Amino acid sequence: MTLPHAEVFEIAALSLRVALLATAVACTLGIPVGLWLGTTAFRGRRAFLLALNTLLAVPTVVVGLAIYLLLSRHGPLGGLGLMFTWRAIVVAEVVLAFPIAAALSAAAVQAADPRIHRTALTLGAGPVRAACAVAREARFALGAAVVVAFGRVLSEVGAAMIVGGNIRHQTRTLTTAVALATSQGNFALAIALGLVLLALALTVNALILMLQGRGDV
Amino acid sequence: MFELALVRQTYGGRPVLAVDALRIERDARLAIVGPNGSGKSTLLRLLAFLEAPGAGTIALDGRPVRTARERRRARTRVTLVEQRPFLFRGTVLENVAWGLGARGVPAAQARARALEALSLLGSDRLAGRSARALSEGEVQRIAVARALATEPDALLLDEPVAGADRAAQHALYAGIAAAQARRPMAVCVASHLLEDAYRWADRILALHEGAPSTVTPENLFRVELPGGGPLQTVHLGPLAVDLVTDRAGPATLAIPPDEIVLSTERLHSSARNAMPGRIVRVAEQGGAVRVTVDGGIELVALITRRSLDELGLTVGGAVYASFKSVAVRVF
Repeated sequence: MTLPHAEVFEIAALSLRVALLATAVACTLGIPVGLWLGTTAFRGRRAFLLALNTLLAVPTVVVGLAIYLLLSRHGPLGGLGLMFTWRAIVVAEVVLAFPIAAALSAAAVQAADPRIHRTALTLGAGPVRAACAVAREARFALGAAVVVAFGRVLSEVGAAMIVGGNIRHQTRTLTTAVALATSQGNFALAIALGLVLLALALTVNALILMLQGRGDV
Repeated sequence: MFELALVRQTYGGRPVLAVDALRIERDARLAIVGPNGSGKSTLLRLLAFLEAPGAGTIALDGRPVRTARERRRARTRVTLVEQRPFLFRGTVLENVAWGLGARGVPAAQARARALEALSLLGSDRLAGRSARALSEGEVQRIAVARALATEPDALLLDEPVAGADRAAQHALYAGIAAAQARRPMAVCVASHLLEDAYRWADRILALHEGAPSTVTPENLFRVELPGGGPLQTVHLGPLAVDLVTDRAGPATLAIPPDEIVLSTERLHSSARNAMPGRIVRVAEQGGAVRVTVDGGIELVALITRRSLDELGLTVGGAVYASFKSVAVRVF
């Protein structure tokens, strides 16, 4: 079995759309949480970090199952009608990528020079501006958090399969297509799709690297 | 400006600072002196409201600063320049304008004020340079300019001349004095360079093991006391010093500068300790003169200007520094 070029493009485009959207949402939510955890001392911070680090190790099929139960017709969010749509995959991927963005951002700012935060505070900055100052100085490590989150989302197959259903022309992503081709014994197609996936990852990571380098004085 | 009452600070259960009472006026020039680990930097961080004291209160203009919100508000009036200051990524001018940006000052106004602060410290030529391309001394000057640009009510400096040569030290203190002449500002400097502190400050706070000390922390030496009697002898470099104590083991010796007698010949007196040496520095302090004598170790003696003139003491001249055993304080 081969796939028409148009269908490969369609699958690759959906994978990219899901991965970029899920990474953007997860990082928009996760990085501020990480900055807060990394720069603010409060009771329970260590427990919070421990929980985040534990979530990093949760199997993707477990997250897929949890989202399935939430979004299925009889689930609490069943009314949204998201089940077996690409949006359901985005929701699952956000849940998977959020702990990565938050935990790695917290680690990045904790590893940053402690003088950055003190300097910002003593120059009159509030907590948000001071956290932003730390983020700016630690942007390479934060960029790494974005790259890891994107990699996790782009390469994920278990949750996408469970909540998306791998429906042709609707929810088939590169990873679910590779899984299907492999199960059908079509290794040539599986390898070809895998190479497309790698090319996508390379392109996006190169773009992130370029963005990190800009503005460096 | 600042009033401290029964302030205590501990790190990991270890007491590092204990100040029962301290008042710093709005126009003060306070030098905080003491050996490493005496609590100078901790006191500055507390005065900068970067951390809360473990116990006691710090009041700013009569109002106790207790909550995180109050500390945050207080930090817009007080700023600290650390011993190894951090400059943000960007140009020198962006750095100096940073605190103004944090206060919502419009960019053009912030730029003008930043340039003014830079020129106070004679560093305006560095404005366009990258902050990462500066020498250690320049970093310190830029950090002080950045603090001055915010027009603080109190400027706190931790070892501000540590990496600077003589000329740079002079420029730094001159710039701070000029800023202080423009508007009232309390300036507190933690320094181990006592000569500078004495020359510049109008008040000295000596810290020893976290607490204010009545002894000026000059002529301080870490020693191992042999024990075994009230009259003991310890060696400070080539100098054997007799002192009176019952203690044994590690201790700090302090020889108060006003207990040291200078003479051009060895004295026949009750002073058991006498060190021959040469004068390496002479500095005015108010009506008195601080004379540093190098005889293998450096000892600072405080004498009157008249004594200096009558004995004909000058830098490079040979001199004896004598002090009694009972003048040596043991901590």
